[in-house]
Amino acid sequence: MRKVFIALTLLCLLAVPASAQSIKLDFPALADRADEIVDVTLDANMIRLAAKFLSGNDADEREIRAMLGGLKGIYVRSYSFAKEGEYDRNMIDRLKSQLGANWKPLVTVRSKHKENVNIMADMRGDKIDGLVIISAEPREFTVVNIVGDIDIDRLSKLEGEFGIPRITKKDGDHD
Amino acid sequence: MSLENDLRNALRRESPPAGFASRVLQRIEHERAPKRNRWWRAVAASVTLTAILGGWAAHTIHERREGERAREQVLLALKIAGEKVRYAQQEVRTIGTNE
Repeated sequence: MRKVFIALTLLCLLAVPASAQSIKLDFPALADRADEIVDVTLDANMIRLAAKFLSGNDADEREIRAMLGGLKGIYVRSYSFAKEGEYDRNMIDRLKSQLGANWKPLVTVRSKHKENVNIMADMRGDKIDGLVIISAEPREFTVVNIVGDIDIDRLSKLEGEFGIPRITKKDGDHD
Repeated sequence: MSLENDLRNALRRESPPAGFASRVLQRIEHERAPKRNRWWRAVAASVTLTAILGGWAAHTIHERREGERAREQVLLALKIAGEKVRYAQQEVRTIGTNE
């Protein structure tokens, strides 16, 4: 019984840092005001499933498949608005406050009239074990959280449309 | 005349033993019954096989749909992430060249 208790305690202690890598990305108030929403939620199982359906003949898809190998989660929330000032710019700081001590800012772009971008990485030694990208534009707010081993240079080199349709959601559409 | 006697004895009309007719009928019934069982077993096996194959096909179709959807979501997510990272890198480069 004592051994079981110790094992459970260890399991809980190990589970805390693992779950701390992803951040809370629910913004119900934004969803209500947004004209267009992109909502991507992929856990490790879904990423593995997606990798099976990427073509080995296409160079881009081959590259993506190699990149997916080290990923445990991909989460995107993007909100587009009809007019400016529909979201609180302090949300960026609130999101940053969720990140632990391992998270370091990689790039911060501040602009009065264009896009503000914050890129933060979960640093484990020299290795990046997660990425949060927060992009704030006058009419668009986007957060990307990639959990796992990610190569930023590889990510930035991914170009092209990949033939993907834009997935949009209107209010009340939960599909 | 011993041959004649032997033949007469051999070909003598004899009544069947008691219960012979019912035993014959029972045997016929017994042989018929398994045939009917075999037919039902074949039908049951076909139905089971069809159900298994149908379930497997439905699962494959569902998995394919889920996989294609996951693939599109991965591509979309990485496209958005790639765009943002490229934009940030470009801005950093622009600032670098302006200084």
